Amino acid sequence: MRTAIADLRALSAAARKELRVIRRYPALWAGMLFWPVMLPAIYVLQAHAYAGGDARALAAFLSRSGTAQLAGFIFVGWSVYMWLSLSLWGPGTALRQQQVQGQLEAVFLTPASRAAVLFGPVVAYLSLTLWMLLVTGLALRLAFGVTLDAREVGQALVVVLASTPAIYGIGALFSSAVLRLREVNGLVQVVRGLFTVFCGMTYPIVILPQWAQHIAYGLPPTYVIGAFRLVLLSGATLVQVAPDLLILLGSGAVLCLLAALAFHASERYARRGGSLVQF
Amino acid sequence: MSEVRAAIAIARKELRTLRRYPLQSINTVAQPLYQFLIPSVLLGSTFMVAGRAVGFQASAGTADISGFLFLGAFMGGQVGAAFWGSAFAFRLEMMSGTLEPAWLTPTRRETFVVGYLLAWLLVQVLGGVVLLGIGALFFSARFFGAALAALPALLLVEVGLVGVTYLVASAVLLLKEANFFVDSTNFIFSAASGTMFPITVMPALVKVIAFLLPTTYALDILRSQALGTRLLLPGWSEYLALAALGLLALLAGRWTFARAERRLRRSGSLGQY
Repeated sequence: MRTAIADLRALSAAARKELRVIRRYPALWAGMLFWPVMLPAIYVLQAHAYAGGDARALAAFLSRSGTAQLAGFIFVGWSVYMWLSLSLWGPGTALRQQQVQGQLEAVFLTPASRAAVLFGPVVAYLSLTLWMLLVTGLALRLAFGVTLDAREVGQALVVVLASTPAIYGIGALFSSAVLRLREVNGLVQVVRGLFTVFCGMTYPIVILPQWAQHIAYGLPPTYVIGAFRLVLLSGATLVQVAPDLLILLGSGAVLCLLAALAFHASERYARRGGSLVQF
Repeated sequence: MSEVRAAIAIARKELRTLRRYPLQSINTVAQPLYQFLIPSVLLGSTFMVAGRAVGFQASAGTADISGFLFLGAFMGGQVGAAFWGSAFAFRLEMMSGTLEPAWLTPTRRETFVVGYLLAWLLVQVLGGVVLLGIGALFFSARFFGAALAALPALLLVEVGLVGVTYLVASAVLLLKEANFFVDSTNFIFSAASGTMFPITVMPALVKVIAFLLPTTYALDILRSQALGTRLLLPGWSEYLALAALGLLALLAGRWTFARAERRLRRSGSLGQY
């Protein structure tokens, strides 16, 4: 019991430290105002170009996507992209940052639980995620007239909760891999690219070829985007998206476990090779 | 002549550094492909009626979505070189403490900017050609032969991009931590040039900005030659607008860079970041 309390305190200290660092970079907050609005807005304009005011093109979109809310469809997809980006650039690179700054060895010398070191940044970045989702919601309402009622927002928050272990599990797993491979930028692009291509951020999964759909349904972000779109744009209830949420919770548990194992393996590798301070 | 040699030497040094990071070079092709082109092509497929882009034909004047987007990505790469070439290089020199010693050499400061741009343009043009090849091979985009006819416009736009590079370099030197500035302005500049969609669908204010960018005209000429889209301005007036705006950007960039340099000399903050 005492160990668990000490671990929780260590986790909270790691999260507070990360929050303090985030607070010192106002450009990060400015980015959180700019990108959640501008990135999807550009794709909304692109979608308008594809529609070209032709009723047949709009009908084709409606039949394939299941919604006529073009802006909402694209904003939801890109908000998950932003969330993944935050997870990869934040918690995903936190260990590597500490390694580059020469703090990782010192942190490992403390009796703090490794789980606190690995998942501490995750807790801190949740605040940025909620801020980003708020900005996205406001942009949808103010610029595109998409209104969301309290029930839809509440359901979306449940989806956020169910998706959090999976999204940050990906970030933590990535963090452990980066510690070993020591290449951040290129790897972030590759992992993010994989999700962007297969998970349906700008398009409905049904238009992918069969083999690509199989890959898409093996990736948790596909279910996050699907569940968000269903509860926010198609009026679905939580019961209707329950299978997606269960898949997300299950994959979240597996990813977090894999991340802990990978972290353990990376640490052992670094200890043996004495590479904790190398970068 | 010595300044040309210096610019080439600076570009070679940059290329040598870039060669040491192969993943970054691969991303020159891969990143636009998976972050912009594939999601955009798939979004376009969602609007197709019986395999034809009827809506896009109405708004862009062509049903060749892939051709339109791949040519846009080619121009987006040039814009990226103008924004990130000097930004990355100056930032790296600042952080490694080599900017001040480099500026103490008899080479003119402006030559550094040109050298950085040369290296990045070379990488982006090569990456762009690979991208166009991928577009032609895997996405049935049709443009190669006809695009050569737009070569004068592509060469002319580089004048304006040198000016843009000077402006970005000034901002990086003054702001010190300019990543967000460079990233966001690069994105807006690229989008406003029409890389992702025809400017006919832009809001009125963005349309005004688009008409002030030399890249808008270069891309318009390129698409007109390759895809047969209608030009924004009639005949040679498009070339005139491209040349005039490019020259204006170059003059504004040189003037701003000179002011930024003088300010840094006075404040003695060149070595700070």
